[in-house]
Amino acid sequence: MRSRRAAWTWLLEKEMRELVASRAWWVLLVVMGPLVGFAFIGSVRTYAEASGLGGTSAGVGEAFSPLVGIWAPTFSACELAAVFLLPFVGIRLIAGDRQSGALKLEIQQPLPPVVRIGVKALVLLAGWIIASVPAAVAIALWRSYGGSLYGPEIATVAAGHVMNAGLTIALAAAAASLTEHPSTAAIVTLSVTVGTWILSFVAAVHGGVWERLAQYTPTAMVAEFQHGLVRLDVVIAAATLIALGLGVAAVWIRLGVPVVRRVAESIALAAMAFVVVSAGTAATKSRDFSESRANSFPLPDEQTLAAVRGPISIEVHLAPEDPRRVDFDRHVLAKLRRVRPDVHVRYVSATSIGLFEQTSAGYGEIWYDVGGKKTVGRSVTAEAALETLYSLAGVTPRPADDEAVFRGHPLVTRAPGATLVFYVLWPAMIVSAGVWARG
Amino acid sequence: MEGLTKRYGHLAALGGVTFSIRPGEILGLIGPNGAGKTTLFECMAGVLPPTAGELLLDGRPLSPVTRLKTLFYLPDAVAPWSAQTVRWALEFAVGFLRGRGDRLDAVIEGLDLTPLLNARMGTLSKGQRKRALLAIGLLTAQPLLLSDEPFEGLDLRQSREVAATLRRHAERGRTLFLSIHQIADAARICDRFVLLSGGKVCGEGTLDELRDDARGSGTGATANLEEVFLALT
Repeated sequence: MRSRRAAWTWLLEKEMRELVASRAWWVLLVVMGPLVGFAFIGSVRTYAEASGLGGTSAGVGEAFSPLVGIWAPTFSACELAAVFLLPFVGIRLIAGDRQSGALKLEIQQPLPPVVRIGVKALVLLAGWIIASVPAAVAIALWRSYGGSLYGPEIATVAAGHVMNAGLTIALAAAAASLTEHPSTAAIVTLSVTVGTWILSFVAAVHGGVWERLAQYTPTAMVAEFQHGLVRLDVVIAAATLIALGLGVAAVWIRLGVPVVRRVAESIALAAMAFVVVSAGTAATKSRDFSESRANSFPLPDEQTLAAVRGPISIEVHLAPEDPRRVDFDRHVLAKLRRVRPDVHVRYVSATSIGLFEQTSAGYGEIWYDVGGKKTVGRSVTAEAALETLYSLAGVTPRPADDEAVFRGHPLVTRAPGATLVFYVLWPAMIVSAGVWARG
Repeated sequence: MEGLTKRYGHLAALGGVTFSIRPGEILGLIGPNGAGKTTLFECMAGVLPPTAGELLLDGRPLSPVTRLKTLFYLPDAVAPWSAQTVRWALEFAVGFLRGRGDRLDAVIEGLDLTPLLNARMGTLSKGQRKRALLAIGLLTAQPLLLSDEPFEGLDLRQSREVAATLRRHAERGRTLFLSIHQIADAARICDRFVLLSGGKVCGEGTLDELRDDARGSGTGATANLEEVFLALT
């Protein structure tokens, strides 16, 4: 008599059992409570202090957005755990089979390697979602304090962290399958993470192509979601990198295939991923899910800008590390690109920090060109940039609707009960559950 | 097996290994440590890529899919699923590896595993783990079972019981290919032998056939398998 259950369901059950038996996962679960709690309690207090100062006019409204004030810092704890703890859980689950010899038994079941790795990734993702429960508890507590919740922006932040976990799992899977020993896999995984930080640093210093590459590091991609922004190019890049990591892992768990062939297949996968990500960078669709429209110009401005005829070119004479350029990129160009993907931006600078260019003629200038009409300005604020563009285009925006302006949700609270929940109840509950589950 | 070769750089772990396996027999792979027994098994099972050589079934090369349906390899020195119970490991063998559930009780009884069913795999002694793994191998449905050192870690009584269990399975038509470095164990259970030394086959046949070969080589006494092995390697 043979089992009627599909082979992959047996594997799914086995991987779930192995996850529950894994000390690394229980450590992750225990740590997540205090980690999320620390971030949540700290951000609630800061939010309360800012709220206590009063003032809810349009200008300061953004400061009282729970997205920026509460959810971005609270979920950052998840990012920290995804970088430093989740890889070890993944490596334990994937490399453990090779270490114990279980893989030699299991690969004799003719299940496609992609399914094997897919099942492991699925279980790891489920494990990560369970580990993220403290973040959900934080949301419930915030609600109980009378805090405002805006579903779409919280869902966006959560989706960004699930995507980040997917990237970590894929990286850990690839590293664990490529290397002979779990400790080597851990070093490889952390090296890649540190490598992305170095890339971000180089991008900040040198700009240019490095800056474009750095947009697709996990940290940068999560940051977009944490601001409530979903960009199609980022989603394509993340999905492709996850598929690449899992694909490479699937290639390398086939122990009986010659190494030369596995190397060739991995290179082919990497090349395909490069093509897809490169093509994906052309995707300009994005959606701002933040309640405060933090990533967008006001609606009347967006409508006016969309109607401007002719190409828009902007030449920015600011160095990559100049704070004015960072401000201009974030508050003007990022928003402008969302409504006018055809905008052409050129950066001009002789140095990376700009400190020694301050006295150079033309440094700090921003040249605008709308349909051949040009002018220059120096202000990096959104208001000044929009005014200049409207002036060149000869258009007048519809007056802003005062009702549509986001006025924020100030809240004065001391996060009652949060300390007990995150520092005492959660760890105690997880330790008890761990002792019970692991026997 | 036809011309199986496995090289690690300039080092040849196996050099053109050729032999045959007959249905329903217990074939012993005899060789000292480092002879290449495990490498041979892993190349046959497809968990290690061979440099050259083919596995043939009725004269035709086995495709990877057919190989998985034809043989199951039970490695030595593995400790899988340490957090799971023996009972679960056996059920997993039946479910995931598409083993024979109808043999479950007989295998448990034959290998005296009943007292161990609720023990975790990671808490078993070497001999107990060997019996649990052997049970997994015996539960699989492939007609050919490759078992690397099936008597390793077993005491004399357990070795005899395991040998009897293996014999029963062979009598029911299962072909067994056992890698054994203890020649006395091999002599007790195997129908035929493949002698492997330095990655090369030094002899193949029944004890009598090997004895004749050894006599022909004129290298000394050939009263038992140990002497035959020494004479031919």
